[in-house]
Amino acid sequence: MKKLLLTTLILTGVQAFTIAQDFQGGFVQEELNMKKYDKDTSAHAVFLNEFGNTRIDLANDDRISLIVDYHAKIKIFDNKGFSNGTIEIPIHNSDESSEEVTDITGTTYYTDDDGLVQKAELDPKKVFKVKDYKYGSTVKFALPGLRNGCVIEFRYKLISPYWDAFRKWEFQDDIPKIHSQYEVHIPGFWNFNASLRGALKLSKTSSEIERECFTSHGAKSDCSHIIYVMKDIPAFIVEDYMTAPKNFLSAIYFELVEYTNPYNGVKTVVTKEWKDIDHQLKITDEFGSQLKRKDLMKERMAPVIAGKTDEMDKAQAIYAYLQKWYKWNDYIGIYSSDGIKKAMDAHTGSIGDINLTLITALNAAGINTEAVLLSTRDHGNINTLYPVLSDFNYVIAKANIDGKPYFLDATDPLLSFGLLPLKCLNDKGRVISLDKPSYWVELNSLQKESHTSSLNLTLLENGKIKGTISNYYSGYDAYLKRKEIKKFNSVDEYVEDLDGKLPKLKILKSNISNLDSLSQPLSEIYEVEIDAFDNMNHSRLVFNPFLLNRRTSNPFKLTERDYPVDWGMASDSRLVLNMHLPPGYTIETPPRVVAFSLPNNGGMFVTSFDDQGDAFSFSNITRFTKAIYYPEEYPYLKELYNKIVLTEKADMVFKKKQ
Amino acid sequence: MRAFLLLFSLLIISISASAQDNYDVSLISKDLLPYASAVVRNKEVSVEVKDLDNTYYRIKTAVTILNKNGNEVANIQVWHNKSRVIKSIKGTVYNEFGKLTGKFSESDFEDVNGQDGFSLFQDVKVKHYNPPVTDYPYTIVYEYEVKSKQTLYFDDWEPNSTTGLAVEKSSYTFSCKPTFNIRYKEINMPAKVITGNDKQGNKTYTWQVSNLKAVKDEPYSPNEDKYLSSVKIAPEKFSYEGITGSFTNWKELGKWQYDKLLASRLQLSDVTAGRMKQLTADISDPKLKAKKIYEYMQGKTHYISIQVGIGGFQPFLANDVDQQNYGDCKALVNYTQALLKTVNMDSYYCIVEAGTRKVSPVTDFASMNQFDHVILCLPFKNDTTFLECTSQKTPFGFLSDFTDDRTLLACTPEGGKLMHTPKYTAQNNLQQRKASFILDAEGGLSGNMLTLFKGTQYDNVEYIIEEAPKDQIKSLQKEYTINNLNIEKVEFKQDKSLQPVTTESIKLTAREYGSVNDGKLSFPINATNRMSRVPREIRNRQNDVYINRGYTDEDEISYTLPAGYRVDLRPTNVSINKPFGKFSSTVSINGNELIYKRRMQLFDGTYNKDTYQDLVDFYQAVVEADDNNVTLIKGN
Repeated sequence: MKKLLLTTLILTGVQAFTIAQDFQGGFVQEELNMKKYDKDTSAHAVFLNEFGNTRIDLANDDRISLIVDYHAKIKIFDNKGFSNGTIEIPIHNSDESSEEVTDITGTTYYTDDDGLVQKAELDPKKVFKVKDYKYGSTVKFALPGLRNGCVIEFRYKLISPYWDAFRKWEFQDDIPKIHSQYEVHIPGFWNFNASLRGALKLSKTSSEIERECFTSHGAKSDCSHIIYVMKDIPAFIVEDYMTAPKNFLSAIYFELVEYTNPYNGVKTVVTKEWKDIDHQLKITDEFGSQLKRKDLMKERMAPVIAGKTDEMDKAQAIYAYLQKWYKWNDYIGIYSSDGIKKAMDAHTGSIGDINLTLITALNAAGINTEAVLLSTRDHGNINTLYPVLSDFNYVIAKANIDGKPYFLDATDPLLSFGLLPLKCLNDKGRVISLDKPSYWVELNSLQKESHTSSLNLTLLENGKIKGTISNYYSGYDAYLKRKEIKKFNSVDEYVEDLDGKLPKLKILKSNISNLDSLSQPLSEIYEVEIDAFDNMNHSRLVFNPFLLNRRTSNPFKLTERDYPVDWGMASDSRLVLNMHLPPGYTIETPPRVVAFSLPNNGGMFVTSFDDQGDAFSFSNITRFTKAIYYPEEYPYLKELYNKIVLTEKADMVFKKKQ
Repeated sequence: MRAFLLLFSLLIISISASAQDNYDVSLISKDLLPYASAVVRNKEVSVEVKDLDNTYYRIKTAVTILNKNGNEVANIQVWHNKSRVIKSIKGTVYNEFGKLTGKFSESDFEDVNGQDGFSLFQDVKVKHYNPPVTDYPYTIVYEYEVKSKQTLYFDDWEPNSTTGLAVEKSSYTFSCKPTFNIRYKEINMPAKVITGNDKQGNKTYTWQVSNLKAVKDEPYSPNEDKYLSSVKIAPEKFSYEGITGSFTNWKELGKWQYDKLLASRLQLSDVTAGRMKQLTADISDPKLKAKKIYEYMQGKTHYISIQVGIGGFQPFLANDVDQQNYGDCKALVNYTQALLKTVNMDSYYCIVEAGTRKVSPVTDFASMNQFDHVILCLPFKNDTTFLECTSQKTPFGFLSDFTDDRTLLACTPEGGKLMHTPKYTAQNNLQQRKASFILDAEGGLSGNMLTLFKGTQYDNVEYIIEEAPKDQIKSLQKEYTINNLNIEKVEFKQDKSLQPVTTESIKLTAREYGSVNDGKLSFPINATNRMSRVPREIRNRQNDVYINRGYTDEDEISYTLPAGYRVDLRPTNVSINKPFGKFSSTVSINGNELIYKRRMQLFDGTYNKDTYQDLVDFYQAVVEADDNNVTLIKGN
């Protein structure tokens, strides 16, 4: 048996002898006496100590498994912290195998009504396993005897057959932690990359070599044993308009680089460089093999593209056809597990099934199309230092037509050609094709939303306003509006609802065009009558030019932020108002004419006004040119919104000439 | 030859039988299409009680999905557990023209645990399947059979309770042995029951509806039992999880629960009993005694729901709660009852339907499935007090909007008793605010604001009371719409007496509350309590207008105006009086002080459907009044 190289994890210079050590459990009077956590007096609970130990070893069934031992002790100050006494452990399974949680013990230490220290033990019968979906369950239990000021302590063992998905460790949680320690034992047969995410630093790391810690059926190897410690970890606080907390939460992740089969010495390189991943994807049944099924798709797409010669026409036809063909089954992922043929025949499939079908179909029609792997907004950002395949949870198509890329997702029938759902607009995507090396593409600046409202109104002598309101939506705004309209069984029902929502406004006539022509901007044109003024017996009439969609409060309340504001896309909205006044009226107070902008052309809010005597025109542009605003830009963004609210609040005054 | 002929004729019969079920979408009457995203073509529910512990449910449904919004109707979900076993499920799919395009069977269904979103665990699993069809319209036809081991309650038959669903034909048949007696209650049924006997000699009861238009969602609608059709059925004799019993009225149902499910659950250790005696030794007033014990229970326990088997109706043992400090509503009520019993105080375990919408059981029809929560009743002389036992914070005797003003069933040793919980009136539910602000020449605002919350409004800020000040401020910045609101100090006080009051006092500043333009300073008159939403108008309103709970909001703000300014434009005073509500807002000026007063009241009750437009107009007027600005101008 030849000695294998140790993992690359070993950090230089730290070869001191380390003791694998869980913390000492049990009752500690000082912990029970603790009244507040000094470093965060608002905390309802705090992790006093947390310990995890993961090793690759043989489980009882003699299979190589990940064995995770978890141990934690939490101080609960008051009943708002009681939710921390209910523990939920998510576990996964496949059709053949499953993770398992065993050896659960739990104890609560508390001071009883007579001031005596008591302990309550968790009844093993009160541990529940709940099946959440096909591939996931949750093991749940509630610690008994919780009281204000109690200390809970619990342990469990998690055995997972999926050793390739080495357990990450989240140092940070929504309550603070005093001490959190993670130890890993990785036999030389395996090699993982570790990466630390988040803003916090490790308090300590150390590593050592454990001699012959892994033996199985004659195979043996040393292990690297590494300890990661973080101390005084603040609670993680979620802010509005941020992407996945995972992007900011302090945690350590592991990615399998290579492993050697301990029984036959065959080495498998899992993650080395993108070229390896490219190759791996290409030969995988669930990915590359599906992309190669061009013949199947040629046959199936022939009638769809019959008579079409232009690449764009073909691509749009295929896209629309598959959008309608498939009903997404709510499962995500980058693979087509049963293959695209089966998925097509069933009319249903996962994100992988549907979009791999699309990519193959487009290629079969002669349109150069690549796959783009990405991570959705709630799944977090991508590690770009080295390839981590498990970072990706979604796949879309990139069709290259006349030198221009079009990003396509066929799983939602309302998306126009080239438009992605917001969830996909996150960080970077990796473009994979059968014949080229893979490469990165930016996803967060791909598209924008925009709409224009154009109002032509006349104020009548009887106090009513008549005229037309036209709204034009394009890009993502058009998608959102289509979705809103389609929630109703018919356009008439939508208009009826809209009319109902605006009691002062009566829709006399409506015309919605391009509702189903996804590639065209959506337009709504309404002929309206508004009950603006009860009677005209006032010498001055107050009128607000932002009569629809006025912004009345600033969405940003915090003085400063720790995390970026991430909207996913840039936006542009415009208002044009032309209004005629009845004879004898003039404008006493015009609307506020302003021009505010963000630094570095980040955005603007501008109004303009033209008084024409018995008529006026007013227009406004609100524009945000970026998808993401960083914490240092936040104060400007907040202030811009303050100005928007102030400006939109300001009324005009019309005056009757004496 | 003869055999051949027979086979042939059978074949013909079976063909013609299936040809009756024509699911061509064009056959649906045009009258059923408005506001419908799906149409039930035919649904047959049959319930057959074979024995006290053996009931078969057979459900056969044919439903046409007209568009994507109807997909939810095609999502088949069947719940099951040890006492409710699925015997079979299968189905077929037809296209627009009624042509068969697919089939599905039990193996296509996914089986997961049922989760209500708040229980740690329930022993309920759900088999579900949504046919993957993308060509609309389509029709799915499915049937399933479920065997249930209990006869304590039967699901209500509600042929059309989903908005957007029209019904061509739907029927319900209940059959049982001649010795099995039932009571039934028809609610808003267009046709009465048809009774008869089937071939096996069973009694049958059949109801049928046809051509029901899709129900439209109308805001301010009364409870569903006021306008939807349904049938309730209750047994006389029954078996549930091995326990048998019988009832024909509330008294007997309550008695059975007390005797079989509750009486045995109240044991506590001598230590705990001793502690309760000691705790209340110096208190003679029984109400204060109960309060002491209630607060002890609140301090000791918290809510965790675990529902297994009979535990759906029976509480955990009081002693278990004493050890574990947790339980669901049943367990915590039973525990409190047990604690009170140790000091010889009687109380009643009361079952009720909880939620902000007030729902009471049908008083002349006793049945088990009209409740979802349990509270405790203290039957003092001339003063009945009810206790919510699942909250650590609720004041003694306060029900808030969760179980107020509704009928419940008290399970007493003497039998069941219908009782009514106290009502909080529009006058009781009072939010009273007084603010005193100084406005500077740049539009900046500073000052203090004091708010009292009473009645059900006591709970308005309950969610932030125990948070850290910085989190309270974060929440309040969202609560109040004052632009650039900066809260310098916030303080809450709670008076947890029988008429509880929460007091909030805030010291604040807000730059650019008003805006300066052209030498004029204008600012929103209503800084503190703005109505921003108007209920949408409804064409051809069907339902009466129902206001579930009334309230009163009073705001009084005094603005000290910057020196050298006078009022140029100010909102006109508004006063509206309607049967369902009152609103007034006034502005008065006293030297350099501008005083704004606003009062808004809504009265609970049911009003004629024609009142609805009035209600919309009322809200619209309030929104407009709340949106007014005051404009100041320099000079005298």
